[in-house]
Amino acid sequence: MWENFSEAIYLNFIKDDRWKYYTDGLKVTLTITLFAVLLGVAIGLVVGIIRATHERTHKLKIMNFLCGIYLTVIRGTPVVVQLMIIYYIILASARNKIPVAILAFGINSGAYVAEIFRSGIMSIDNGQMEAGRSLGFNYIQTMWYVVLPQAFKNVLPALCNEFIALLKETSVSGYIALQDLTKAGDIVRSRTFNPFFPLFTVAAIYLICVIVLTQCIKLLERRLRQSEH
Amino acid sequence: MSIDAEKPLIQVKGLGKAFGQVRVLKDINVDIRKGDVVFVVGPSGSGKSTFLRCLNRLEEPTEGKIFFEGVDILDRKTNIDEHRQKMGMVFQTFNLFPHMTILKNLTIAPMKLQHKSREEAEKTAMELLARVGLADRADAYPNQLSGGQKQRIAIVRALCMKPDVMLFDEPTSALDPEMVGEVLGVMRELAREKMTMVVVTHEMGFAREIATRVMFMEGGNFVEEAPPEEFFGNPKNERLKNFLSKVL
Ligand SMILES: Nc1ncnc2c1ncn2[C@@H]1O[C@H](COP(=O)(O)OP(=O)(O)O)[C@@H](O)[C@H]1O
Ligand SMILES: [Mg+2]
Repeated sequence: MWENFSEAIYLNFIKDDRWKYYTDGLKVTLTITLFAVLLGVAIGLVVGIIRATHERTHKLKIMNFLCGIYLTVIRGTPVVVQLMIIYYIILASARNKIPVAILAFGINSGAYVAEIFRSGIMSIDNGQMEAGRSLGFNYIQTMWYVVLPQAFKNVLPALCNEFIALLKETSVSGYIALQDLTKAGDIVRSRTFNPFFPLFTVAAIYLICVIVLTQCIKLLERRLRQSEH
Repeated sequence: MSIDAEKPLIQVKGLGKAFGQVRVLKDINVDIRKGDVVFVVGPSGSGKSTFLRCLNRLEEPTEGKIFFEGVDILDRKTNIDEHRQKMGMVFQTFNLFPHMTILKNLTIAPMKLQHKSREEAEKTAMELLARVGLADRADAYPNQLSGGQKQRIAIVRALCMKPDVMLFDEPTSALDPEMVGEVLGVMRELAREKMTMVVVTHEMGFAREIATRVMFMEGGNFVEEAPPEEFFGNPKNERLKNFLSKVL
């Protein structure tokens, strides 16, 4: 029993430095997730503001229409298909695949983040906007100084969930032959001809990442709650 | 800008406002002079708030003109944000910024919009806070304060911009009765300092006490306007008489 186990450990992690597949794969997964989140928040912020502004003021009709198309298309198609369209068609000549994946997952995440920001902005009483405007702030300034900080606090849990979901979604990066964490397990499996260890290793690493993130978020939320009296 | 003593601070000409098909304000003509303390009273739903909010374009008028310090603020070329800095507004529901301390509530607009230094903005804020008796609450957050305190802070927030006119929309209507007095006290002080004020209120006794003019709004128009003694002592319009008999 022990001998089998240590043999398996040897085959799965030590032989040919196979553990490096996992650490390299994790690095790729985290890099894609982190930058895709940043891109997604940037896109989501702009689209969310446009949607909320249209809802409150009926202005920005054309921009709101374009944003609506973006949301429908992105949320109506699988992320893996979007990833392949961007890699094989739109950026067919791209050499480095990581930025392609960041772009694809960022654009995808932006659609979900936009809805989070839209509802966050709509949850702030319009009196806040009016108070800001009555002091002489323009619309964007009032958004920035008054509405968004409050909205952000409200949507932080939802944003964090989106972050965690994205981390897991990047596991389809292998479709464009990126060696992310999932793909790393796949490679080891093809070497050892045994799926058990590679798959459970990959699953455990994802799980640990999610648990650590969740704990960080809880801490952050508690901080924010303390700063509000 | 120096104001010509002859020229009204705010001139409203043929002002109209419709929400869709519903005409809420009809052909309003009013002059508000420097130092005026104008009280607007009338039944609920008659258009008082809409009128007040048209003055700083929180509502977009659909007809007429409004001149503020000689500038046509309904002109599309006018940057309303600049003029709003000179028109303080106080809301029924205070609308303080809950994520900022009181001091930050008071200094953010002067610092960002008038490019005051932090020291300068805080000095002004602390002086004004002291005058409304709330200097010790500078580092508190709005939801640590009572309604009356919040409204006094909201008034100070507007004053920190050194406005030329203050607009009040039922500033005491959301307050518990025992807190009304402290807010009226601050307004009384402002009137004594010759601040130009337009006040929508149901506090008739207060109107009688500090108004220079009282205007009665009914069905989207001002149907009577007079100095307070005459307005309350000798009303002419039948509907005003009826209204006063109900509220006095
Ligand atoms: N945003 C709005 N959309 C449609 N109707 C409105 C709006 N705001 C006010 N009204 C209507 O305009 C009329 C005047 O309202 P308001 O100015 O708030 O009256 P008051 O302040 O005298 O009580 C009311 O009939 C009200 O229902
Ligand atoms: Mg009203």
